[in-house]
Amino acid sequence: MNIFREIYQSIVRRDPLSTDKGKTELVFLNVWLHIHPAKVKKEHMKFRHTFYLGFISFFLLLILITTGIALMVYYRPYPAAAYQDMKDLQFVIYMGPFLRGMHRWAAHGMVACVFLHMCRVFYTGSYKKPRQFNWVIGVVLLLLTLGMSFTGYLLPWDQLAYWAITVGTNIGSYAPLVGGMLKEVLLGGHSVGEGALIRFYVLHVAVLPLLVVLFTVVHFWRVRKDGGLSRPVWKLKAPKTAPLVQIGGTAEAVPLAVQAASTEKTYGLMEVVTGKPIFETVTPEEDDDAVFSYPYAFVREGITLMATVTTIMSMAIFLRAPLEELANPAKTPNPAKAPWYFLGLQELVSHSALLGGVVAPALMVIALLVVPYIDRNPSRRPRDRKWAIWLFTAFVVVNLVLIVIGTFFRGPGWALVPPWVHVTGGAE
Amino acid sequence: MERRLQQYFFVLSVLSLLLIVGAAYQASTPAWKRYQKQYVALEAQGEPNAITKAAVLATPPEVHQVMLTGLQRVDRCTTCHLGVEDPTMKNAAEPFRYHENLGPHIPSKFGCTICHGGQGLATEKEDAHGNVEFWQNPLLTKEYIRASCGRCHKDGDVPGVPELSEGKRLFENQGCRGCHKLNGVGGTIGPDLSLEGANHRAPEWLEKHFLTPNAVSTGSAMPNFHFTRDQAKALTYYMLSLTSEDMGSYYSTVRLIPGPEFGRQIFQEKNCINCHNVGGVGQKVGPDLQGVVGRHSPEWLDEQLINPELVYPGSSMPAYDLDGNSRKALMAYLAVVTPADVQALLSQKPHVLSPADVAIEAGRQDFARFGCVGCHGTELQGGVPNPNAQGGEVPSLLHLSDDYTKDEVLAVIRNGRVPPLDNPSGPPPPLYMPAWKKVLSDEDINRVADFLWSKQQKKADAW
Repeated sequence: MNIFREIYQSIVRRDPLSTDKGKTELVFLNVWLHIHPAKVKKEHMKFRHTFYLGFISFFLLLILITTGIALMVYYRPYPAAAYQDMKDLQFVIYMGPFLRGMHRWAAHGMVACVFLHMCRVFYTGSYKKPRQFNWVIGVVLLLLTLGMSFTGYLLPWDQLAYWAITVGTNIGSYAPLVGGMLKEVLLGGHSVGEGALIRFYVLHVAVLPLLVVLFTVVHFWRVRKDGGLSRPVWKLKAPKTAPLVQIGGTAEAVPLAVQAASTEKTYGLMEVVTGKPIFETVTPEEDDDAVFSYPYAFVREGITLMATVTTIMSMAIFLRAPLEELANPAKTPNPAKAPWYFLGLQELVSHSALLGGVVAPALMVIALLVVPYIDRNPSRRPRDRKWAIWLFTAFVVVNLVLIVIGTFFRGPGWALVPPWVHVTGGAE
Repeated sequence: MERRLQQYFFVLSVLSLLLIVGAAYQASTPAWKRYQKQYVALEAQGEPNAITKAAVLATPPEVHQVMLTGLQRVDRCTTCHLGVEDPTMKNAAEPFRYHENLGPHIPSKFGCTICHGGQGLATEKEDAHGNVEFWQNPLLTKEYIRASCGRCHKDGDVPGVPELSEGKRLFENQGCRGCHKLNGVGGTIGPDLSLEGANHRAPEWLEKHFLTPNAVSTGSAMPNFHFTRDQAKALTYYMLSLTSEDMGSYYSTVRLIPGPEFGRQIFQEKNCINCHNVGGVGQKVGPDLQGVVGRHSPEWLDEQLINPELVYPGSSMPAYDLDGNSRKALMAYLAVVTPADVQALLSQKPHVLSPADVAIEAGRQDFARFGCVGCHGTELQGGVPNPNAQGGEVPSLLHLSDDYTKDEVLAVIRNGRVPPLDNPSGPPPPLYMPAWKKVLSDEDINRVADFLWSKQQKKADAW
């Protein structure tokens, strides 16, 4: 019996979870959990503060990596085989449709959730000092997510994939000077073909996932280092003058310094880890709004994870991932559409290639990147930042409206056709 | 609150577990496993030996597939259609019934979809039969399935499929080439038909289109040829056979070998006897054809049929547009031809053209072969409706010499012509004369003009 106990203790070195020390050590001594603080504020766990969108995005990424690796086993990235492998996944591979469905729906979900997460961060003003740079990393992650989705879009090698990528890369080629070269480097030729497929594959399964993981790690690290989550806006108190504290010296001697106390709270957890009772370092006042991550934060994360997984699994079971006819360069569907998240761009391009395809998206990305440095307003209260909120709302609404128009209101020849009108003979 | 959350977590975990189990169950109970079980039971039914019976019943379920690299397809149809090659399943219910009359087309070499259509890779009924979105090649109905023979047997007759030969004959004789290109030869008014069979149009659509072109394709420039239902069906068959499957060598070598009967038909159709004679029966313009197969090598004869001028510069023999198997069939006939047989052919023919008319006859052939008859009619009568052209129809060619010189006519054939408009502000007429100089040699054009001139009639004098 002793040997089992010894094995268990060699794996789990912390104290029992019934003790406060055990709860703390669970976080501290665990490589996977130590990105969490040992204690979290109750207000940070409020669902209506964050909607857990960051977590959902991260869990979708986990689903995508898992299912993606499984899909790699069955996929050969060259035109003669790629489409047949899709059909094999659908018809003969055990749980193939489930696997592909999960990957597909999680990918679309991640694009949406990352975008919504960005909206949440903007509306709560959480990109403001000291979190400016983490916002920039977040924007980079959004772009990487779009890149992941876009490169994955080609891999089924059906008509949908082929023409979406053809349209998408054509939009890219409108960029002055570098556009043509960019398209050629991306496609490995002048049009979508064998070269493009292997390049998109390498980007999709190696380069971009690596970058996404690296930037995600930095993103999480910065969340901790920039002072944890921002406070919910409704908990913000009017700034008050901090009390002066004395550093160094005794009652008789001259102090080393006298300065305003920091408003940022720091935990003295080193004492906790070395075995001192927790109540010595946590003041009774703090007890009110801070709780141990275990189980309070972890159960919420767990629910978020399971809710994300069950949603994606249900979608995979009940909605078949689309697969159209084999890619046919000689037969252009009318209209040929980019992936949905680029349809706003395509809509702009249909009005002006240079303005819509280059200037507008470049300005959008640059504006997003520099938002925290332009917005000098230190207040996070909505009533103090009406302009910022109006502008950002306009940005979101314009994007959504363009995407909706491009998706539902564009028919053959990119003519304005409402979705309730059925057009026949579009492919003739 | 916290207690409630832990319950949520538990419930969601159980739910996701159930979903995984559900997905696994869904994946491990496909319909084809059920069919295989039924088939095995059917097989075991009449088995007297208990051990064999047990062995048959214990056959593990598996996907059956035929990899057809030569036909660029993988067919999994036999996963459910298990009795296709088993004669004892002659009276079994579908999907197990034995496929009769396959002849040399064994499923292991040909699969199923090359003839039947459908989606070979699929293992679910709906998908496999192809009546699903994004699969444009559904199963052909019984009515049209024999059209698939023409996908491989492109030359000559296919026994049991007269529709194909009839469709091909109609295509060549009704002047379809005047507007449609096929394998590089033809006009540009209508779409190129070289790959029509690969466009996956429904046979019903095609048939309706031949009966009344405007009914299925509004605004179509195609005139109504008033085909009968059988003719429309024959043309539909021919259209369905026009694909360009890149067949492996196995398939291209086992196609139909043409026999002398088909050759005799060509011999008669092409009026060889108008110039040639066989043992003295026939005309003396060209050489005697008796024993010609012995006198020359097959390659030489083949060349002579493809391009006579290359063999004998200045030869008056026209270049007949015969495909490879037709040439083979003709040579097979010439190897066995007898004067008596030719006499029999001649007696069927009402009159024999004089040698002077040979060039005109060649012109008539060109006129038919390049599709002029499609608009101008076999008797040059014209009359095909052409809205907003002067007169509202394609003009008759019987009175050309009243208004044109021969040189003017030659120029129109060479360069094409858009007919003058009836109403100058209206839409251009759908039909126009294509420029033929890139398609036809000058010699062909001259022959056609000679033919036209031979047919000219003076208008009945009005005064």
